[in-house]
Amino acid sequence: MSDTGPALVSILRQGSYLVASVHTALDDTQMLRFQHDLVERIGTDRATGVIIDVAALDVLDSFGSMTLRRIAEMARLRGAETVIVGIQPDVAFAMVRLGMGPGEVPTALDLEEGLTYLNGHRDGQPGSADRPPRRPQRRP
Amino acid sequence: MSSGPSVDGSAQNAGLEAVERVLPVVRRVVGARVSDPHLAEDLVQETLLRIMTAWDRIEASMVEPYAIATARNVVATMWRDRDREARNRHRALDLSTPEAPEDQVVLGEEQAAICEALGRLGEQERTRLLAHEVSGQDTRSLAAEAGSSAGAVAAQLHRTRARLRVEYLLTMEPGPPPTEDCRPVLLALSGGSRRRQRDLGVGRHLLGCDFCARVAEPLLGRAEAREDELRVPVQGDADIVKARQAAREVAAKLGFAKTQTTLVATAVSEVARNIVRFAGRGEVLVETLSEPRAGVRVVARDAGPGMTNPQEALADGFSTYNGLGLGLPGARRLMDEFVLVSEPGRGTTVTMTKWLEED
Amino acid sequence: MNDENRPQGDVDEDQLLPQLVAHLREHRAKLRDEWASRIREAHLLEAMSAQEMAAETTSVYDNYVEVLETGSVEALQHYARDLSERIIPRGVETHEVVGIVLLLRDVLARSLFEKYQNDFALLNRVLDAYEPAANRIANTVAVSFVEERERVIRQQQDAIRELSTPVLPVRERLLILPIIGSLDGERARQLTEQLLNGIRTHRAKVVVIDITGAPDVDQTVANHLVQTVDASRLMGASVIITGLSPKIAQTLVTIGVDLSKMNTIGDLQGGLEEAERLLGYHVSTEEGITSS
Ligand SMILES: [Zn+2]
Repeated sequence: MSDTGPALVSILRQGSYLVASVHTALDDTQMLRFQHDLVERIGTDRATGVIIDVAALDVLDSFGSMTLRRIAEMARLRGAETVIVGIQPDVAFAMVRLGMGPGEVPTALDLEEGLTYLNGHRDGQPGSADRPPRRPQRRP
Repeated sequence: MSSGPSVDGSAQNAGLEAVERVLPVVRRVVGARVSDPHLAEDLVQETLLRIMTAWDRIEASMVEPYAIATARNVVATMWRDRDREARNRHRALDLSTPEAPEDQVVLGEEQAAICEALGRLGEQERTRLLAHEVSGQDTRSLAAEAGSSAGAVAAQLHRTRARLRVEYLLTMEPGPPPTEDCRPVLLALSGGSRRRQRDLGVGRHLLGCDFCARVAEPLLGRAEAREDELRVPVQGDADIVKARQAAREVAAKLGFAKTQTTLVATAVSEVARNIVRFAGRGEVLVETLSEPRAGVRVVARDAGPGMTNPQEALADGFSTYNGLGLGLPGARRLMDEFVLVSEPGRGTTVTMTKWLEED
Repeated sequence: MNDENRPQGDVDEDQLLPQLVAHLREHRAKLRDEWASRIREAHLLEAMSAQEMAAETTSVYDNYVEVLETGSVEALQHYARDLSERIIPRGVETHEVVGIVLLLRDVLARSLFEKYQNDFALLNRVLDAYEPAANRIANTVAVSFVEERERVIRQQQDAIRELSTPVLPVRERLLILPIIGSLDGERARQLTEQLLNGIRTHRAKVVVIDITGAPDVDQTVANHLVQTVDASRLMGASVIITGLSPKIAQTLVTIGVDLSKMNTIGDLQGGLEEAERLLGYHVSTEEGITSS
C-alpha cells in the first residue's frame, strides 16, 4: 500500500468490505503494484467484499482489464467477492470492442450500486450484477 | 475549351512566347516582395520554369493570373525554404552554432571540421558549392557554366549541402559508421525529404543504430516540423500511458467524439505495450490525415526481434507474454485500418488508422 | 341539420331543402365546372393536376350535396377528415381548403339566386335554409382540416424527437431505446453513445432496446448492437431486447451471437414487464419488502 502512494490509488475499509479507488491512469507496473497491495489487504483485513472504483480511468486496455479480473479471482480464493464500479461509457465500449466484454467479474454503476450488490450477495454465490440477483437466502 | 497550344513540335516555341508574355508581371510580383536582386532573379527563373511546364494546360485567358499566383507561391515557398535562407545568410551549414563566448574553442574545432568535410566532397561539388555560397554566384550563371538548368543546379546544391552536413558530423565522430545503411540514412535526414526517409526506413534504423541516433540528433529537426503530429519514444511502461495520451490529444483536436478518441487511445495502448514487451524500445507516431478524408494515423515501430509469423500474432489468444493474447487483434478491432509488417531480426511496424467518420 | 333545426310544422319549409338538393343534382355538371373555374381563377389547389382537380371537385361536390340532404354531422365530419388526410400530404394550406369550400357555397348560392330570382319571398326562404347549412359545412371542413394538420405535424415531431433523443426514461432506473428506421454505422454509433451516457445520467439499472421499428439490420449493425449490450452490462445495467424479428435473430446467430445469453422478449410490453420484474427484485433485496 505504501509503495503505491496515496496519489494513485486508495484502499479504504468499509465494514467488512474494502473500497479500492483508482485516482488516475496507472501504468502496468503501478497496476501490478495495486494488484499486489489490494490482494494483500484482503488477506490482512479478512474482507468479504471488494469494490474497485475505476471511474477515473480513461482507458482500460487488455492489461488493465486482465489485472482487474486477476484481482477478482485472487480475492475469490481468499473468500471475498469483487465488484467493479464506475466504468465510463466510452471506456466500456472500447473494452467490448477490444474483446474484454463482461466476464465473470460483476460490475455496477457506481460505489452505491456496488455496495447494494455486495449486500444482496453476501450469502449467495458470486454472479453477474447485471442479472437479477437471487433472492436473499437465509442460512439454515 | 483549352486554347493553349497543342503539345506537338510548336510547344517549345509556345512556351518561349509565354515566357516573354508573363516575364514583366512575374518580375513585378517577385520584385515587390524580394529586395535582393540575385535571389529575385532565382525566383523569377523558378516561376517561369513552372509556367512553362504547365503551359499546355493553361487557358490563354488564365495565363497572367496563373503567372501571378505561381510567382506568389514561389516567393512564399522561398521564405519557408531553408536552403535559400541558408544561402542568404552565406552559410553552407545550417546547424545550430554555439553562441556563448566561452565556446570559441569549440567553434575553432568546428571550422576545422568543416574544412575536412568540404575536403570529402567531390571536386566539382565543392567548387560549385563554394562559388554559390561564398562568392554568391547565382544558380543561373552556374547552370550556364555547367550547360545545365538552374533548377538542376539548385537541386544539386541542395544535395551537396545535405552531404556536407553529414560529412561534417561524421568528422566529429571517432570512428566510421558501423553499417552500410548509416550514411544513406544520415543523408536522407540531412536532406529533409520525408519521402526518401520513409523509403529508407530511417525511423527503424535510428531505433536500432546507436551511432546514427547520436550523430543524427542535430539533423532531426531538418524535416519540416508538423504541429499535427506527435512522436512518443517508447521504452517503458510509463511511455505506454504517454503514447495513448498523445493519441487522445491528437484525435480530440481533430474533432473525434469521446467514444472514438477512447477507441484510438486504447488501441495505441495495446501497440505501445507490444513494443515494450517484445522489443524493449521503439516509438509511436500519431499524426492527423486530411487525405482522402480526415482521420488519425498511428505508426508504432520498433527494431526488435520481429516475428516469424505475423499472422499468428493477429489471431485471438496468441501471446507469448502473460497469457494474454488480445493486444494486437484487439487493437485491430478498435481501428478502421490496421497493417502489421514484421521481419525476424529487423523489427515490427504497426500502421493503423481511424477515420473521423465511419463508412 | 337535425329535425329540430328546421322550422316546425311548415310543409313548404319541409319541401325547400329537397327541392334545393334536386336542383343542385340536376345542374351538377354545370355547377361543378363553374366552381372548378372559380378555384382556378383564385389560384387555389395549384399543387394538384387538372385530373386530380376534376376528381376532387366532383367528389367534394357530391359529398357536399349529400350532407345538405341528410344533414348528418357525422357524415360531414367523416368527409372533412377524409378530405384533409388526402390533401394535406400534397402541401395544401388551410386557407385553400376554406377558400374552395366558401367558393362552392357562393357558386351554389348564386345558382339558387338565379333559379328563384322571380319569387323574392321564396328566394329568401331558400337562402335562409341554405346558408346556415352551407356555413356549417364550411366550418366543419375548416376545423377538421386544421385538426388533421396539427395531428400530422405532431406525428412528425414525435418521429423527429424519437430519432434525435432515442433514450427515453420510462420510470426510475429504467430506460427504453426504441430503434426506429434503418441504422447505418454512424447512427448506430450515436445510439450507442446516447444509450451509454443515458445509463450514467439516469443511473439506469435496466435498459429495454426495442428493435421492432428497425426493418433491416446487417451484420455490422448487429455486431454494434451486441457490443452495445455488452458495454451496458459493463456499466452495471441489464439489457432486454424486444421486437427481435426472426430475420434479425438469424443475423445475430450468423455473426456468432449466443442468443441464450441475451435477454430477448417478444414484444415491448413483455419487455417492460420483465424490466419491472428485474427492478422489483432489487426493491425486495434493498428494502426487504416484496413487490409484485
Ligand atoms: Zn547507423
